[in-house]
Amino acid sequence: MMDEFHVALAPRLSAVRSLSRMVEEFGDANRLPHPKIYMINLALDELITNSLTHGFDGIDDPRIEVTVRLASDALVLTTVDNGHRFDPTAVERPDVEAPMERRPIGGLGLHIIRTFADRVTYEYAGGRNRLTLEHDLTAPASGGGRRRDEEHR
Amino acid sequence: MNIEVAEERTDDALVLLPVGRLDSSNARAFESIVMERIGGGERRLIVDFSRLDFISSAGMRVLLIAAKALKTADGSLVLCAMKNHIQEVFRISGFDRIIPITESREASAPGSA
Repeated sequence: MMDEFHVALAPRLSAVRSLSRMVEEFGDANRLPHPKIYMINLALDELITNSLTHGFDGIDDPRIEVTVRLASDALVLTTVDNGHRFDPTAVERPDVEAPMERRPIGGLGLHIIRTFADRVTYEYAGGRNRLTLEHDLTAPASGGGRRRDEEHR
Repeated sequence: MNIEVAEERTDDALVLLPVGRLDSSNARAFESIVMERIGGGERRLIVDFSRLDFISSAGMRVLLIAAKALKTADGSLVLCAMKNHIQEVFRISGFDRIIPITESREASAPGSA
């Protein structure tokens, strides 16, 4: 059984679709819980969209590499890109309790994926952003995220 | 990229049923459909999630735009029939505080929401 896959993406929105099918096949082959697969696909959509929208202005040869790895007790998603330096863990969280009138349009994607992941690490080295999201497979689907979200309030 | 959106009508509301995946690649297409309906005079919109498998923040953004537009126009937006993992994303985002989410389309009727 394949417990890891790695893909280098052409940075286009349409690439997210083919990637999501690969993640689903990987999840089915490894009998992963559907909510975990959903979270990985959601994270990929948010991260790649962010990179394409903000990350590659003026970059000649934009590249995003995605690795999904099944460790003994966690599902690990790593993205590496050669875009502008950007630390998603340093972004201020949106106010998810604000009334509708004061909700910004957008800005939620990073909040969602940081909340659902059990561990998020970022590093910048050799001109590349490397972000790692770990989702524990032993905990309930969103248990870790819920605790973190409440700590934040 | 396009999105398939089925449309049905109840006594007083237009029901939109997006199909499959609503993400960054087709959120603009969905936004066009929703805002055309609101621009055309629809004031009570229900978005039925029963045929939707995936939504990212790009899709949620469209719902927030629609909710704001309808509130300004004295209308309403209700979301219904969400799968559990999608509902959890809405809860984490605090969207459940600003847009009503009901179990079923029947429960989204006036007076029961």
